[in-house]
Amino acid sequence: MALPLTYNFRNVFVRWRATVATVLGVALVVAVYVLVQALAVGLEKSASNTGDPRNVMIVRKGSTAESSSQVSRVQFQTIEFLPQIARDEKGRPLVSADVVVLISLPRRDSNGEANVTMRGITPIGMKLRPQVKLVAGSWFTPGKRQVVVSAKMAERFANFQPGDKFKTGGHELTVAGQFDGGNSAFDSEVWMDADEARALFDRENYSSVLARVTSPAAARDLMQRIDSDRRLPLHGDLEVKYYSEQTATAMPIKILGNFLATAMSIGAIFAAMNTMYASVGSRTREIGTLRVLGFRRRTILASFIIEGAILAAIGGVLGCLLSLPLDGYSTGTMNFNTFSEVVFQFRITPWLATKGIIFAIVVGVVGSLLPAIRAARLPVIVALKAV
Amino acid sequence: MAADNIVTIRNLSKIYAQGEIQVTALNNISLDIAVAEFLALMGPSGSGKSTLLHIIAGIDRPTSGGCRVQNVDVTKLNESELADWRNQNVGFIFQTFNLIPVLTAAENVELPLLLTQLSRAQRHKQVETALELVGLADRAKHLPRQLSGGQEQRVAIARALVTDPQLIVADEPTGNLDSHSAQEVLGVLQALRRDAGKTVILVTHDPKAAAFGTRTIHLEKGELLNDNSV
Amino acid sequence: MTAAGFIVKNALRNKRRALLSVSSVAASLFLLVTLQVALRELTLPQEGAGAALRVAARSKISIANFLPARQRPIIENIPGVEAVTPFTWFGGEYKNEGAMSFAQFAIEPKAMRKVFVEARMHADAWDALEKEKKGCILGKITADKYHLQVGDRFTLVSTIFPGELEFKVVGIYSGTPDDRNMFFRHDYLDDSIGYPGLVGMWWLKVKSAADMPRVIDTINKDFANTSAEVRAESERAFQLGFISMWGNIKVLIASISTVVVFTLVLVSASTMSMAIRERFRELAILKALGFRRRELFAFILAESFGLAAAGALLGIGGAYCLYTYGDISKMTHGIFVSFEVTPRIIGAGALVAAGLGIIAAIAPSIAVAKMSVVNGLKTLD
Repeated sequence: MALPLTYNFRNVFVRWRATVATVLGVALVVAVYVLVQALAVGLEKSASNTGDPRNVMIVRKGSTAESSSQVSRVQFQTIEFLPQIARDEKGRPLVSADVVVLISLPRRDSNGEANVTMRGITPIGMKLRPQVKLVAGSWFTPGKRQVVVSAKMAERFANFQPGDKFKTGGHELTVAGQFDGGNSAFDSEVWMDADEARALFDRENYSSVLARVTSPAAARDLMQRIDSDRRLPLHGDLEVKYYSEQTATAMPIKILGNFLATAMSIGAIFAAMNTMYASVGSRTREIGTLRVLGFRRRTILASFIIEGAILAAIGGVLGCLLSLPLDGYSTGTMNFNTFSEVVFQFRITPWLATKGIIFAIVVGVVGSLLPAIRAARLPVIVALKAV
Repeated sequence: MAADNIVTIRNLSKIYAQGEIQVTALNNISLDIAVAEFLALMGPSGSGKSTLLHIIAGIDRPTSGGCRVQNVDVTKLNESELADWRNQNVGFIFQTFNLIPVLTAAENVELPLLLTQLSRAQRHKQVETALELVGLADRAKHLPRQLSGGQEQRVAIARALVTDPQLIVADEPTGNLDSHSAQEVLGVLQALRRDAGKTVILVTHDPKAAAFGTRTIHLEKGELLNDNSV
Repeated sequence: MTAAGFIVKNALRNKRRALLSVSSVAASLFLLVTLQVALRELTLPQEGAGAALRVAARSKISIANFLPARQRPIIENIPGVEAVTPFTWFGGEYKNEGAMSFAQFAIEPKAMRKVFVEARMHADAWDALEKEKKGCILGKITADKYHLQVGDRFTLVSTIFPGELEFKVVGIYSGTPDDRNMFFRHDYLDDSIGYPGLVGMWWLKVKSAADMPRVIDTINKDFANTSAEVRAESERAFQLGFISMWGNIKVLIASISTVVVFTLVLVSASTMSMAIRERFRELAILKALGFRRRELFAFILAESFGLAAAGALLGIGGAYCLYTYGDISKMTHGIFVSFEVTPRIIGAGALVAAGLGIIAAIAPSIAVAKMSVVNGLKTLD
């Protein structure tokens, strides 16, 4: 049987003064890794959390964002009364054509300007998006040059409080209220009346069409119908799928996170190696004794690797704890898909924390490999003579 | 000798290289050790006594010659076999006690048993017995740093006994002890031979310690000098 | 044996630990330098030779909003303007490949050649572009990456405009800060999308630096209160505006750098401290022999500095060599075009290393000061 785990645990703790720096080092590496990946996870979560599964989003074929998509009025009229689209109690099709425009607005702390996604939306369009709820002020009144803004955007941009005014397109708009998008992509938007938006920004065409379908089968039918119609250069997707695919921004963040973690882990590996060499050095006689008692070399090897892993795992758990306070913290960056500001939260999921700890353990194992081999290879008599 | 020999050594030599120089630690030693002997190996520093002890105990190999312990030719066993053999057949006591600092007295004594197939309950029973034998059952949960030198060495003896080996080897076991504790320890070793029939091989440079044995042999420069049987 | 020799021998006594200490410092400094360089590259726009005399004019609503083509003659007629070209982002992808890693812009060749002064090309290339409607000029980095040469054809599908367009390479340019872009004819774009008369923005060159402020002002005023208001600014201001859209990237990288420095100091200091603690016995002996405390401090400090300096040389020097002599755009898949390790950044790294040398020596120095000779000699390590 191998050496008991309590032996390994106690050895880690008894030399805590020497090992605390390494544990902290590993903790910081894991914290950085977890935090950067939490950004990517937050982005992806907000993207995938967007939309209603009963809706189909229709944009121009090939466009990667609503703001660069064009749907003409004729095309909209062709789709409007298709049978797959559900009707409301009055028999009107539950379909809405939106106008999406990017407007450049000043940031709150005078950090320059950024593009904001402005959505010109219809009353039906608002109904199709039940996850968006008013939290301050009131909805906009069409014709009064009013908008509603995401409460999360209001934290980042100037003049976004109810009653504030800002200028764009040569006109002044008033903020009538704020909404909560339910941690979705809508948290990065500003809404106003669709017709007013078209007039304001001189848009002949719509940007996208959102339709509620009667059933999942109807959704498939509708999308196929649109794809196969040669008159319509349009493409339909389930709304949830459309948004969850807009994760181009997350990729460079993930790459950055992996690069940073790898680079920092090299330093951490050296630290772990150093700590373990010192540990082996101070227990040389102990190792010799264990060998005399009959313990095998591979047991010694395993024992030190386990110790390195325990050490690093403690650092990993500490690192996750260090990063936890930022879970849910709101931040924003430029969305590569929409070319506008996207607001999202740091999201530290249990899986991410687990990845962080696994990463730490790998660092610990790699770092203790050479010292463990050294320990296992010590000739017994030489070890016994050690001071 | 009429009694059974537990250790039979024939033409044992050990030469090792120290840099460019060849050092002869043992030169053509032949020796018989009988069952239940308490043999004292004496000699000045560098005489080879520890080397001889190490070879008998299976933690070193000779350059030439044979050494049989209980009819097992230990020079022919490989690393793994030697490890197993030591675990079952030899109890080693060191000058520097060599207890594992992070383990309690009981856990230290239990260590050799971890390599056997005994169940947890069985192991604990044997540990208890061993500690009682050396009179330290009440210190079972103490860490080595909470014990005096003499107590530490007695725990080490318990550890050496716990697998019930036939052979107990001790390398200067009293070197780090005050005279009172030294007497105690040597007394325990004597009792082991007398009451339990163990064979004890003691390496020492102290004639007073050697006097506890049944036989003393002297080594100098790798060679046996005289054979002082009692 | 000199004091220096003694120190060196000491440091190298445990070669493995010395190597680990140095490597740990080197790895962390390398990372620190890399982060600082990346930050600088991302927040400091590269300026071409002609940038000082250029102005970018975009829709006041946002850069994503189109401007009417009829604005061009108005701008051309402003005194001080040498040439103005439309500049429209195409957003194209290779037919089968997905996102292309270079940008494509529709321009007007006659004006463009006067504005894009730093582009170095074969003498006939601009003429060829004026003659060949489907022609395009390509930056050298992109041409090399996709193995495209003059005469090659390729097709792009736009994510903004409908349809596919086929292009023919008529020239390959280099010598600009960003040799990755592709430029083609705006009238070709106009024809294919069916609604001519819209441009992404205007890119113009003024005759002299003195003209610039007045030209900018005039443009902004001329189109104020029209249905297509314009925001004109110097090219530099425009680029900085772009960068500010990235938001908190500076804060992000700065905080990560801080964490890296902190971790580095922590880890390396403890490593070096451990190395120096091994030396206690010798230091005790030296003390017994009569060396004074301040001489012992000097030994400790010298060893600590020596290790830090070696790590700095390896880490900072390594980064410098890699980024100065390596092919940056190949290494970063085209994300970065240049990666300059400035003297300022090197200095910052050296400062960190020096600080490290001091911090690592603190704990052992305190211990040595407190140590009595007897205790020191008893130390078994």
